[in-house]
Amino acid sequence: MKKLFSVLIVLMLLTGFVFAAGSAEKATTASDPNTVKVGLLCIGDENDQGYTYNFIRGRDEATEMLAADGITVEWVTKFNIGEDATCTDANIEAAEEGCQIIINNSYGFEPFMLEVVDDYPEIEFISCTNCASVFDGRDNTHNAFADIYEGRYIAGVVAGMKMQEMIDNGKITPEQAVIGYVGAYSFAEVISGFTAYYLGAKSVCPSVTMKVSFVGSWSDATAESDAALALADQGCVMISQHSDNTTPATAAQQRGVYHTGYNNDMTGIAPNASLISTRIDWAIYFYEAIKAYVNGEEIPQDWCKGMAEGAVVMTPLNEAIAAPGTAEKVAEVEAALADGSLEVFDTSTFTVGGETLTHAFALDTDGDFTADSEEAVYDGAFHESEFQSAPYFTVQIDGIEWLNAAY
Amino acid sequence: MAAEKTPLIRLAKRTEMKRSSMWMIRVGSILVALLLGCLPMILTATNPFSAYGVIIQGSLSRPVYLKQTIRTAIPLLGCALAIAPCFKMKFWNIGAEGQITMGAVAATYFALFWHDRIPHVPLLLIMAFTAAIAGGLWALIPAFFKARFNTNETLFTLMMNYIAIGIVAWLQGGPWEGRKGSQLIPMFSDSARLPTVFGVNCGWIIALVLVVLMYIYMNKTKQGYEIAVIGDSVNTARYAGMNVGWIIMRTMFISGAISGIVGFIIVSGANFTLYSGVADGVGFTSITVAWLSQLNSFAMIVISMILAVLEKGSNTLQTRMSVPASIADIITGILLFCMLSCEFFINYKLIFRHKENKEEGV
Repeated sequence: MKKLFSVLIVLMLLTGFVFAAGSAEKATTASDPNTVKVGLLCIGDENDQGYTYNFIRGRDEATEMLAADGITVEWVTKFNIGEDATCTDANIEAAEEGCQIIINNSYGFEPFMLEVVDDYPEIEFISCTNCASVFDGRDNTHNAFADIYEGRYIAGVVAGMKMQEMIDNGKITPEQAVIGYVGAYSFAEVISGFTAYYLGAKSVCPSVTMKVSFVGSWSDATAESDAALALADQGCVMISQHSDNTTPATAAQQRGVYHTGYNNDMTGIAPNASLISTRIDWAIYFYEAIKAYVNGEEIPQDWCKGMAEGAVVMTPLNEAIAAPGTAEKVAEVEAALADGSLEVFDTSTFTVGGETLTHAFALDTDGDFTADSEEAVYDGAFHESEFQSAPYFTVQIDGIEWLNAAY
Repeated sequence: MAAEKTPLIRLAKRTEMKRSSMWMIRVGSILVALLLGCLPMILTATNPFSAYGVIIQGSLSRPVYLKQTIRTAIPLLGCALAIAPCFKMKFWNIGAEGQITMGAVAATYFALFWHDRIPHVPLLLIMAFTAAIAGGLWALIPAFFKARFNTNETLFTLMMNYIAIGIVAWLQGGPWEGRKGSQLIPMFSDSARLPTVFGVNCGWIIALVLVVLMYIYMNKTKQGYEIAVIGDSVNTARYAGMNVGWIIMRTMFISGAISGIVGFIIVSGANFTLYSGVADGVGFTSITVAWLSQLNSFAMIVISMILAVLEKGSNTLQTRMSVPASIADIITGILLFCMLSCEFFINYKLIFRHKENKEEGV
């Protein structure tokens, strides 16, 4: 009887193959040199209206820009990939499905991506926001990030002006100008981001302090909301975030405090709270990288551009609730950042344990996860994202209180 | 007085059924499931024929895909083997997830901190051995409480899963973290990785050896017989002079040890690192594998492959036809549901109330 069973199983599989024949596999070789197949592996999906949505937006914009140059991009987009072995499988699958470039959109994807890259030397692998490609000795791995700290600094300026306005109107005392920041992990990219944000606020509101709450996840809508609510309840009058969802904005609105966002314009869902957001415009990079590939040029090993090149942009200012004069101030700061007269991490504007910062390494070259080379502090400033695209500012400065560091 | 009302449908235990018709029902249920699976596809405007085609293609049509499918099947098979003796004993061990995780933790400890001091093969053997011990001890805790205080093993083993997962989450963000704040444990060096045989990590050989060993253990040894007796009737076992508590603990230790080895195969053969989702539901899916195979070791090979084909294939389905991942999950769910419910129809038959009975009742 087992025999009968195995015969049936074989029959079933055969039927499967008949189905399979019905949808014959497409040849993967791109005959047209101006057509390129690109894989985009995402940690979330566009419903987050934040991180992954921002990538999808960049994807669609880049597709249009490339179409204008006569380049057709065929995208294979995979959503909700974990920062685990499913990422290895997703990279293999994208490679097998004929992608010529594979873009991994989350920091934690890189180690799993690197398990695959040597099996497909002719495919270009890109890991956004991570940093291994410079040292890994491979030609087909790349990193990319943007100077998002510039955008965060400006968002901080907007927040600081609002808080200074509240102080001037007598709504809060100078000591009550407290920012609550929802961070994902106590990780360089996050630390660099909230420090830039704090320094931006401090430049226009000198009495400001900040509390940071880490949620232990890049994307956990409920935890982000809970953290924002808790921060508001602890007296924070301004909420900002380095996490993927829009829930901190709605939490701020619910508690009647203000908010600045990341990745997407959040004024639509929190019109009485959200002042402005900053985001990376990935279209700039996607356009450059794919164009280079089609032209037979090298994709940069480690790409990083900032506001001046349009890689970091601000979303429209919520004029209805922003402090008067904010738009002019933002334009002024943008210009100063672009011409180099303003440094975000100017060491004269902050202290570490009461002292001025005089030394910090940028890069980890020996793989022990502690920075050991390239002095980042010179000419009176900490130079972020100069030695590699991924942020490396990990100093805890005065005025910022970490509520939890478990993550 | 009216006679007691007969229900519309009654269930009766089937006394005898030909094996051939049992298998017919099983295969029939798979076909029904495939037909039902067409519904969500049609609802999302996907051609079911090409969708099933893509599932088969995406899991079996290329060597790379076949290797991935087999890699998915290995832990399912191993873990189904692990829980089979517990289920035979009617000890509901749903803690394989945690036992896999603890095995993976033990293996990872040696992979991270001893890889430069111990050569390749001894290191792997130590990893496998400690993983087995760790998984076994983790399983022994609920078994001890069951044997000593008659606690509920279902809840106990389930809760142990979350503790194990919590331990890994702590290690990930704490002592074993790589780059600070990244929540990632570094990848294993080459000497802590399982070698591949025919392109797939040699875990498949371990799993197949376990299939044979488990078959012999369950069917040809005194211990296997004791397990079967306890499963049928604890009182009979006691009457026969068996030390039931001891047998429960011994069986759970063996079960946990095999799960621990599965954890070792996962971290050392597939993931090359440890994270809190290391078991990835294998401990639960393998319960389905064990049930569908009627606790028969050899049938588990087939069932775990079918589930792996579905899992890998639905992944490709998502890639090629932009079908939402949840649709693929729904199809898998329908299939599992049909396959499990068919066991019900093998064991019971439905008796409908006859018309004359009805009149009698009124």
